[in-house]
Amino acid sequence: MAAQLHPVFDESQFALLVGHSKAVMVGMSVLRSAAAFAARLSPLKSGNNAVNLLTRTIPRTDKVAVRWGHGKKMFIVRPSDFYDRRFLNLLQYYILLTGIPVAVLITCVNIFIGEAELAETPEDYEPEHWEYYKHPITRWIARNMYDSPVKDYEKMMAAIQIEKEKADMRLTQLEVRRHMRQKGDGPWFQVPTLNKELIDNSYKSSPDN
Amino acid sequence: MPGDHDMGAYPEPPRQTPAVDKQTALPNPELILSKLFYYSVDLPVTTFRDAIDNIRSRNKLVYYHQKFRRVPDLTDCQEGDYVCYYEAEMQWRRDYKVDQEIVKVIQERLKACQQREGNSYQQNCAKEIQQFNEVTKNYLSRYGDLGAYANGRKCLMKQKERMMAAQAQSA
Repeated sequence: MAAQLHPVFDESQFALLVGHSKAVMVGMSVLRSAAAFAARLSPLKSGNNAVNLLTRTIPRTDKVAVRWGHGKKMFIVRPSDFYDRRFLNLLQYYILLTGIPVAVLITCVNIFIGEAELAETPEDYEPEHWEYYKHPITRWIARNMYDSPVKDYEKMMAAIQIEKEKADMRLTQLEVRRHMRQKGDGPWFQVPTLNKELIDNSYKSSPDN
Repeated sequence: MPGDHDMGAYPEPPRQTPAVDKQTALPNPELILSKLFYYSVDLPVTTFRDAIDNIRSRNKLVYYHQKFRRVPDLTDCQEGDYVCYYEAEMQWRRDYKVDQEIVKVIQERLKACQQREGNSYQQNCAKEIQQFNEVTKNYLSRYGDLGAYANGRKCLMKQKERMMAAQAQSA
């Protein structure tokens, strides 16, 4: 089948070439023979017609619409996620900015210093108030930032004592006030008046002055 | 790893594993698996822990158990002596915490016993069960429904109610 078609093809092309110049003829004939050769190799393929064998462009494999796999790049229309991604990036950045140093610090403290061990209180030794805690960071906070629990206790008791005295004073004041009002004599219910000797009695002796 | 638990507090029953009596020439898969586990998991973890302990042992810290002095109770305070009330209240709160920890210890013992005995825990752990029941009954009768705002006064009033109920029952 292929061998039969071939001589027919050649002769018709040769007949057409009669009207052209020799050089062009030679070039054209080379190309045409190449096309004929390709057509001869696989004549049944759809793209190997004489018409489009020379003038077709090379197909690009990534822009061809193949059915499955990493194929043609699509621009999928979506709402913008720029703001969301920016927010999450910033969140991550600011959390890790102090988060990582804190984590590193805590890890180093746990590895290099380590937690305390329970021991019997030695005789006639009063441990400091921070020596009652286990973790080194808790101990540090108790030593440098907090007051000792004894001091807190005493502060509370002092506050209670002051309030108690204030309350007692208020109660006694009410009691005294009650007594003074009842009896009628008492310095709180005495209104200060002027001196008796200052009264000018001279005009009072003669009624029609 | 930290040391094993106190063998006196949680005694294990004597082992009843029979002596190995190998009758086949095939290798023992249990032995293979246990060796595999040992070399892949146990040994690296133990060496890591030993390394960390080595580093830690240079700065050894100690902590002590704080013992508080006993102060007069709420019933021993004069009326209106708020400082005495405060000290009694603080002591009551410390005792409340201590009682909570006691209940937790008894619970731990019961849980450990149940885990050890498996399906026959009800008869083998009778002592632990009885102890647990007694302790929780006492705890509930003393601190039972006091709630989150419990204080020494409310507990004292609850005790008064209990005593009144006991007296009404016995009379």
